[in-house]
This record gives sequence, C-alpha cells and structure tokens, in this order.
Amino acid sequence: MSEVAFQKTVGDSVPKINDEVAVGEDLDFQRKWWKFESVMWWIIALLLLLNFAGVFGRGPVAHAKLANDAMLVKYERVERTGTPSILEVQFKPNTLGRGQVKLHVSQSIVDGLGTQRVIPSPSDTAIGRGGLTYTFSAEQAPGSVQFALQPSRPGIFEFTLQVPGSSPLSAKVVVMP
Amino acid sequence: MLTMIYAIAGYFFLMVTVRLLTRRPGAQMTMFEFVIVFLVGGVVILATTHGDRSITNCAMAILTVGLLHNFVAWLKARSSRVGALVDGTPLVLLKDGAWVDEVMRGMKMAPEDIMAAARMKGINSIFDVKYAILERNGTISIIKAKKDIA
Repeated sequence: MSEVAFQKTVGDSVPKINDEVAVGEDLDFQRKWWKFESVMWWIIALLLLLNFAGVFGRGPVAHAKLANDAMLVKYERVERTGTPSILEVQFKPNTLGRGQVKLHVSQSIVDGLGTQRVIPSPSDTAIGRGGLTYTFSAEQAPGSVQFALQPSRPGIFEFTLQVPGSSPLSAKVVVMP
Repeated sequence: MLTMIYAIAGYFFLMVTVRLLTRRPGAQMTMFEFVIVFLVGGVVILATTHGDRSITNCAMAILTVGLLHNFVAWLKARSSRVGALVDGTPLVLLKDGAWVDEVMRGMKMAPEDIMAAARMKGINSIFDVKYAILERNGTISIIKAKKDIA
C-alpha cells in the first residue's frame, strides 16, 4: 500500500461574501488596478500619438536634413532594426560638373546602419580614413546618391559624410529595437 | 540570444496587454475578441523571431516562453499578490438580486453577459440568480437563488 507523501489540513482561508460563498474577492486591489489601467490607457494613447508623429521612426519627426556648401543629406534620425530606409545625398551644383564626385562615408554607415546598396553603383571604392570613399561619375547638377539602409541591430550610431575639400557632416541615428 | 531576449520581452508585453484588455479575452470571447488575440499573437511572433525562421530559433523562443510561463506559474502559487497581478481577483457582479455597479462598470460587463452565463446553467430569469461572480479565468459563475417553498 502506498504511503501519503504529506498531508495538510484543509483550512477555510478564502474570504467569503455574506459569510456564505467563498470567493476571495479583493476589491481594494481591484480599485488600484482600475486606476493603474486608466493611467496605462493614457500612456498607450500617448505612445501611439508619438509613434504617429514618428518619434519611434518612420514619421515626420524622424525625417532630418543636413547641409553644407557641397551637399544636402536627407536621412532618418530614428531607424528601426531590420526596416529598410533611404539616406539620400544631393550634391550642390558647385560639387558636380567636374566629371566625377567623391564622397567619403564613415564605417558606421556600413556597419551600424547596414548599407545594403549604393545607388548608383560607384565607379570606384577606396577604403581608409575610418570608412569608404566612393567615386561616382557625374555630369551637371542636379545629382544625388542614395544609400539603401537596413540596420541589423539596435543602438545609437554616429555617421559622417564628406565631399573631399568641404567640411564634414555628422549626425547621430537612433536605431530602435 | 537576441531571440530569447525578444521572447521574454514579448511575453511580459503580452501579459500586460492582455491584462489591460480586461478579463474578457479569457473565456467570454466574442468572435471579434478572438480575432484580436490571434492578431496580437501573430504580431508578437514576427518581432520575436526577428526574421530568423529556422527551427532552432523558433524552438529556442518556444522553450524560453515555456520556461518563463512555468516560472510565473510558480510565483503565482507562492504569492497571492503575484496571482492577483497576473490573473486578477474574482469579482462579485451580482449579489442578492442587486448589480454591483462599480464592478460591472469597471469590468465593462453588461447584464447580457451575466444572462448568457445564467442560461448555460439553465436559468432563464435574472431573479433566479443570487450571485454572479467573474472568475480569474474570465468565466462567470452563477449561484442560484433558493426558492421559498410555500
């Protein structure tokens, strides 16, 4: 005959309603939960509004521009992991028209921000100075280069772009999980 | 590694979301709520697997969620406070022939929901219900009123 491993006396521990039905209702806890719930719904509504505005990427607030005398850079200041986006470099007329244009990009554009393609394909690519220097065949303005980005991990990445002979442009990009 | 972190985050995110959706997603689901639960689950799966659809990755995500769920169940058994946080507390909706308005409003319940549960018990009048209790799993328990025998 098998033995009972352990025994515990049954107790009437569950609070009753009208001293009749054991329910275990905790209305004080529930009232606190309802307050928490109403606060959370406001927070959720706020998060959705912020998301709509683009605070978490892919919205008006996330669009950013940088400019100097050589180029105008359009990029997303907030990116999302695994989500494709475009970083566009528009060259100013004084940069083009010499048959070719060089553009130095920091390594973070390739590593952190995950460059998938450069459009158009550069005629030459040189490594060095902590990044890559692309050479593009160029005619008269307007002209632009696009970097198809797809970050593979979250984080904050700083990138730098420079047309040799002009001041560099730098910015930070937040990549959301 | 990243999948396991996403699975843990997804588990707690879903736990809070489902709790905030009140207790109806438990047992009293309408077809619409059924669709919502599947939609939410599907979206979380996409974020958890992170584009890696290998069996190894999916198995690790499932094992992570399974282990986490077991841990939460263990915590619930140890602490009634954790149990109340995760599953809520039973609530009396109808007592001695009177609606408990605060609870009915708070849980977004309608008398029709209680009558649906009463009909499952073969009760066809609300006057024959002495207690209606919303249980932690989302079901509504009905306790019949004793009829006076003349």
